Amino acid sequence: MSLTARNQVFTNMLETLSRDYLQGKEDVLRLSAIALLTGGHILIEDLPGLGKTTVALALAGITGLSFGRVQCTSDLLPSDITGLSIFNRDDGRFSFQHGPIFNNIVLLDEINRAMPRTQSAMLEAMEERRVTVEGVTHHLPEPFMVFATQNPSDQSGTFPLPESQLDRFLICTDIGYPEEILEKQIIAGGGIRERISEMMPLVTREEILAARRDVQSVYLSAKVLDYIYLLVSATRTDDLIQTGLSTRAAINLAQASKASAYLAGRDYVAPDDVKNMFQAVCAHRLVLRSEMSAIDRGGVLRTIASRIPLPLV
Amino acid sequence: MVSIKFLASILTYSIGLCGLLPLFPWLTSAPRLALLLGLAVGLWQDFKGNWPFKTWMQNGAIVPVFLYYAIQFSRANPVQPVVSILAIMLAVRLAGEKTVRHSLQIQALSLFCLASSSLFDLSPIFLLYLGLMLFLVAIALVLLTFQDQENSMLLPKRDLRKVLIAGGLMPLLSLPLLLFFFPILPRTQMPLWNFLSSPTVRTSGYSDKVEPGVQPNAGESRALAFRAEMGRQTPQRLYWRGSVFNTMQGNRWVRADGVPPEVPVFSGPKVDQLIYPELSVSRVMIGLDRPTEISLNRLKRSPDGVFEYSGSLNKHLNYRASSAPDGLVAVKGAINKPFYTKLPVDISPRITGLAAEIVKAVNTDREKIDLLENYFRNGGYRYSMTGLPTGPDALEQFLFIRKQGHCEFFASAFAVLLRSAGVPCRLVGGFKGGNYSELGGYYLVSDDMAHVWVEAYIEGNGWQRIDPSSFAANAGEVWNDKKSRSLILRMKLTLDYLNYEWNRSVIVYDFEQQFEYARKAGKRLQGINPANILRNIFPYVLAIALLIALLFVVRRTSLFNRREERILKRFLRKVEKEHGISVERGELGLFEIAERADNQRVSEFSGIYAGALYRDRRLTDDEYRRLQQILREGF
Repeated sequence: MSLTARNQVFTNMLETLSRDYLQGKEDVLRLSAIALLTGGHILIEDLPGLGKTTVALALAGITGLSFGRVQCTSDLLPSDITGLSIFNRDDGRFSFQHGPIFNNIVLLDEINRAMPRTQSAMLEAMEERRVTVEGVTHHLPEPFMVFATQNPSDQSGTFPLPESQLDRFLICTDIGYPEEILEKQIIAGGGIRERISEMMPLVTREEILAARRDVQSVYLSAKVLDYIYLLVSATRTDDLIQTGLSTRAAINLAQASKASAYLAGRDYVAPDDVKNMFQAVCAHRLVLRSEMSAIDRGGVLRTIASRIPLPLV
Repeated sequence: MVSIKFLASILTYSIGLCGLLPLFPWLTSAPRLALLLGLAVGLWQDFKGNWPFKTWMQNGAIVPVFLYYAIQFSRANPVQPVVSILAIMLAVRLAGEKTVRHSLQIQALSLFCLASSSLFDLSPIFLLYLGLMLFLVAIALVLLTFQDQENSMLLPKRDLRKVLIAGGLMPLLSLPLLLFFFPILPRTQMPLWNFLSSPTVRTSGYSDKVEPGVQPNAGESRALAFRAEMGRQTPQRLYWRGSVFNTMQGNRWVRADGVPPEVPVFSGPKVDQLIYPELSVSRVMIGLDRPTEISLNRLKRSPDGVFEYSGSLNKHLNYRASSAPDGLVAVKGAINKPFYTKLPVDISPRITGLAAEIVKAVNTDREKIDLLENYFRNGGYRYSMTGLPTGPDALEQFLFIRKQGHCEFFASAFAVLLRSAGVPCRLVGGFKGGNYSELGGYYLVSDDMAHVWVEAYIEGNGWQRIDPSSFAANAGEVWNDKKSRSLILRMKLTLDYLNYEWNRSVIVYDFEQQFEYARKAGKRLQGINPANILRNIFPYVLAIALLIALLFVVRRTSLFNRREERILKRFLRKVEKEHGISVERGELGLFEIAERADNQRVSEFSGIYAGALYRDRRLTDDEYRRLQQILREGF
């Protein structure tokens, strides 16, 4: 089966999700799929009640992967996520109780409500894909994906994620309000949580792991590589930006572009893929100059991208 | 900042000079005066900044001049009046204000003047003036268009440089055309109008008779006689044979018809020459003594080594000559001894007596020659071009009284003595010496090198070249080598080389000849064994193939990306036309365009094109054809 045939599974999945369950959320669904295919994590940043959690649930439901959920609060402890050792009286020894992070898809709801200490423990697990409790290292399952949501940081009672932590998310995106017709349908139909719980998986774990290998083998030409480099290095010299994109950002951009190309049914990356992924992958990693912090970071990136011509020859 | 008007008027004057300078020497005094006056008045008025001579005055002034020269015009005198009126019109325009219109007129008149100068003279300096004029005209035209827009425009230095570069590049663009037209356009080998009075046609130099004692002083013309392309020779070999004078009539040596037959035998290495004679009235073709063969059509060959040309003398010739340069030519069989020992009956007994006196003790020709040579060497004879003996007894005066004369005296006297002593001999007229141009690899021989020497027949050996002039007491001073190293001579040789190249490659360029060479080469090719050719050219083919392969590897992307570039351009144009998607190149990706166009065929194009481009490979021929098809059929 060729690569383009195998990606059918995922395009079907995205189509089913956006047609039957989550109307008007194609973009965020696609970005979630991209994060899943590259082994990255996604941060969804928007107001409460716009379906952040529903998206994560739907993704877990349709892939048949195990799902764990952590509702972050200011008194959440690291061990509430990772799990802890509990004394078992029958055996007469401590045994490790797995926390919610030992799932394939983990929803960290309202991550910016957790204390920095907890945040950093979670993010470390995300990066390392293992948890060390009391000297014992526990590997997290494959595939592993964190689906974090956060409220806009001007909401009260939040601890904004520092830039170094944000850098660990492959993609950061918002959801936005649905269009009028769609929103009316949603209102009329009520919540879809029940339907999601009855969802039939369309994609297996093996298919996801195979797709990840396929994404890795998507061809990245020298021209596109040049284009990525030009984009990234342009952020380092821009007047509005204090700290430009890191090399990790560039790596992630290339990976996300590959996954995007894969979903589009191609075995090579086009500069269009890079341009499309640029904002989602990179905006949250920018550190703007302090006097410019009110500016929309996505807009800054779009301006930069518009200055650099796509390689067409 | 520079004033355009100022620059334009400087250029206009320069162009005017380019036109009038080459024509000036050929004009009569009235137009010459007019030109000088016009130039002076123009410069003065430009300097003062006001122009009291109005245009209508100038135009009115030309009318009577024009009428005057129109009357002068006739079939017998067609050129001078036309050239004069051209020059005077140029003078009048130079005198007036340099408006844009007048500047253009000056340019045109200058070009005509320069062109008409070629009616008189075909010197390479014409090319210099023409090149300079084209260059200046190109720049002036650019500046004049500026001036036409605004008379008092100022130009920043930086922009001026741009204008100069643009103006300078324009004539360069015409160079490829020049290369194309040069071989095919007809040309003349002589100035069309002036060839009869042209100084390049020589009447002097050596003549068809040797007659010492006609003039007290011999003139020396330094005009060029011929050039001979060949390797450098020792000075002893540099005798250029022209004619042979075999009969003495009174005081003169002439060439009698009916040269006795003889069969020369040439031995030793030959020297080949390519000879370019200047235009001349003489039909005798020169070659290094002694020419064994001269390859030229319509040539009459005499047994004594004289080659006479019977074709037209009105064009520049060139021919190959092959020579045995050792000065001794054996003869198969016998020669006509009585013919070569005959003397006029009225020869002075004093001379015959002298000869008998000198050679009385010996018998062989060789010994007689040696004794006569000794007599000349020890007799205190001097080589001189002035104070020459004259009159019917000039030879006697030379031998016994004056004892000074030029080569004709030495050669005549020696030959008379030889014949008196019974040794067969003849006089040879030609040239001696020559300045070698290392630059062009040829000898330059001028008229003042004309020379006469003697050939004596020595039984058993053959014809021996003897140069009696070299027996003169001052021979060493006359033919020393020192002058050949002087700076002036070197400069002269360099200039001559330029002139020579001009003649060879422009004036006498012969398309038919080149065509003939090509045809011959083609014929020769037909007779060649293909296997041989293959073996011979294989290394070249291999080298070229390797070079191309190397280029392909090194410059692949820059050399061969053209196809993709072209088709992309067409695609973008078509998308803009049919879908109104007008974007800067590189603003949108191919798939973004396809998405916006929302068209199956645009998507297909994007897919195929990007599939090659972003896989780092080139379009295959099939893909290329498909893309072309999509573009042809439209979206």
